Amino acid sequence: MTVTTRRPRVIYTNPSRAARPKPEASGRERFWWYFMRLSGLALVFLALGHMFIMHVLVAITGQEIDFAFVQSRWGTPFWRIYDLMLLVLALAHGVNGARIVIGDYVTHRTARGLLLTLLLAISAMWLVAGIAIIAFFDPSAS
Amino acid sequence: MINLFGYRVSWTQLAWFGHRASGLGVLLFLFLHIVETSTVLLGPEVYDFTQTLYANLPAKVGEVLLMAALVYHSLNGLRVIVMDFWPASTIYYRPLTYGVIAATVISMVPLGAIILTPYLPWG
Repeated sequence: MTVTTRRPRVIYTNPSRAARPKPEASGRERFWWYFMRLSGLALVFLALGHMFIMHVLVAITGQEIDFAFVQSRWGTPFWRIYDLMLLVLALAHGVNGARIVIGDYVTHRTARGLLLTLLLAISAMWLVAGIAIIAFFDPSAS
Repeated sequence: MINLFGYRVSWTQLAWFGHRASGLGVLLFLFLHIVETSTVLLGPEVYDFTQTLYANLPAKVGEVLLMAALVYHSLNGLRVIVMDFWPASTIYYRPLTYGVIAATVISMVPLGAIILTPYLPWG
């Protein structure tokens, strides 16, 4: 007697197989799926630009990151808005990524709930702190 | 393919794992970076002292690792975006993955040299 095993029918919703499949239903999870890709695209320029300026250009030109450096940088609205966008997008992108990783590996319901609550609470605190730093820094102070 | 954890792991599996690991690493640094930057509100003395904590070889090695994580996460993220929005490109997922890994390693050679050279004994 031969047993024929049929291949399970697979519906490919995840062409890249490199990340999450796009959620079928519209809603919160689909929003985050698009958010990760769009914010990621913006962060390629914002975050890599930030790293390049702060760690490569500063090293090449022999400058140093100190209080005076921040004064001249945050003395212009352009860099404040740049840094604010970088802060908000990077934090939201990173925290949502961490949320997905926790959801993938922590199966214990209580532990998962606790971890996610902790992540959200800490992230909210850090976001407020980060915005406050950029908003309240006084470039004319010495 | 390379043998790891007792079974053969493909570079594309490692690329997926690397995306998560680098993402979590960068997020962890972001939290630290916000704490460290907050000292700018306490005046020049405190902030300038905080910045001297980064001016040594171990910290600079960490800086290179951070940059490598960010470069890799960016390039691999672009690959994910390309493949998700143009599914036809998925037949090239293997060369694209190898390209991402190679581009990260190659770009980190000059970037790492620029950051590390002033802190090396002979730099």
